[in-house]
Amino acid sequence: MLLGDRDYFTVTEINREVKAILDQNYRSVRVVGEISNFRRHSSGHLYFTLKDAESQLKGMCFRGDAGRVDFDLADGIKVLVSGRLTVYEPYGQYQIVASRIEKAGVGELEQAFRALKDKLEKEGLFDPEHKQPLPAYPFKLAVVTSPTGAAVHDVISTVARRWPCAELLLFPVRVQGESAAGEIVRALERLPEVPDLELIIVGRGGGSLEDLWAFNEEAVARAIYQCPVPVISAVGHETDFTIADFVADVRAATPTMAAEIAVPELADVLENLERMQATLTQRMRGAVDLYKVRLRELLRSYALGQVRGKIERYLQAHDYAMDNLQRRISEVVRTGRVALTHAMTRLQGLDATAILGRGYSICADFETGAVISSAARAAEIRDMRVTFKDGSVLSEVKEKLDGKQ
Amino acid sequence: MASNKGKFEEAMEKLEGIVAELESGDFSLDESMKKFEQGLKLGNVCKGMLEKAEEKIKLLVENEDGGLEQKEAPDEF
Repeated sequence: MLLGDRDYFTVTEINREVKAILDQNYRSVRVVGEISNFRRHSSGHLYFTLKDAESQLKGMCFRGDAGRVDFDLADGIKVLVSGRLTVYEPYGQYQIVASRIEKAGVGELEQAFRALKDKLEKEGLFDPEHKQPLPAYPFKLAVVTSPTGAAVHDVISTVARRWPCAELLLFPVRVQGESAAGEIVRALERLPEVPDLELIIVGRGGGSLEDLWAFNEEAVARAIYQCPVPVISAVGHETDFTIADFVADVRAATPTMAAEIAVPELADVLENLERMQATLTQRMRGAVDLYKVRLRELLRSYALGQVRGKIERYLQAHDYAMDNLQRRISEVVRTGRVALTHAMTRLQGLDATAILGRGYSICADFETGAVISSAARAAEIRDMRVTFKDGSVLSEVKEKLDGKQ
Repeated sequence: MASNKGKFEEAMEKLEGIVAELESGDFSLDESMKKFEQGLKLGNVCKGMLEKAEEKIKLLVENEDGGLEQKEAPDEF
């Protein structure tokens, strides 16, 4: 029996069918093998072939996941690949799409680390919901670390520089060796007894995986998890991650950074305070100004305008009155002065009466009343009052005569 | 010295609240004045707390009775 074209899969169809089967049934596989034909595409995706003694499997890793590979991939390296199987339809080629690539054949410690990390992660010890918020302005904090290492010095000097108003408690512990984990746990159990303690920094400087091991112990992880006071972990350098880092409320890359996260910069806080107070003052001024404007508007309004007119009239009247008063004062002063001059003249005249009786007379300026005692002065004026013993006459100066007669 | 735990943060938050209120709200001159005074006071309280407290480093030691003892830290810290 011959089959028609319709009874055949097209190439696309069969590839699509196989792809569907793989996509559905191999969503999560783990494959161990050796890398070969490794290529990093300019797009950032990784392409490689996994092989063992007898077989090969094409593989690729998208850029996002490739970024999480924490070692240098190269041909010949034995790796553990986690991912899904699928078919790249254009080539009809099945492959593994890796979501995680790890180095195979790692040491016991690293395996223990992974196992514990997986276990605690499943238990929810790393859940973001469990993370406690850090206090914004801690005034009392504690450091759990070795009293002799660089870490304690880094934390103390950083806190002292940024936030000198804080009280810093040092809980000395060993950070490596057999007893380290137990001492760290003890510190984390005891510290919450300290009244008003707001924050704990636990950590140490960098070192080998063995050196940092105490911070990968389950007991330490649980003590951090259970600590009612927020905990910042600060273990090693930027690249060292420990279980403690995952459980802590905040992970700091280094002890110095832990201190920087823990406390604010005093200068910044003070500046913020100043700025807020300045804003308040400015707002207050604004409010006062606003009311001034409103008041002015009210004054301009009709009803008040009536009263204002009256006030203005009163003010004007007052001004007139003041002017009048001023004028009268001036007048009084001036009149007084004239009267005084007359009085003076009269006094001088009185003195002179005795002499007048003997035939002498007194000449004075008719206008000012000033006594004239020289011919030269007399020649300068016209009208002259000449006073005799029984009265005076108005006389006119005609001319000055030569000689002394 | 009384504990500063939370007090400073509380005062800061209140102050921030008052600033925000005055910035957005339209209050009577009297209310504004009250808020302004309260804000200035809070700011000064905060500043006072920052100035009063001084750097203190203490060593925590477990004594024989199992109590926690605070000792002055040696000079090298």
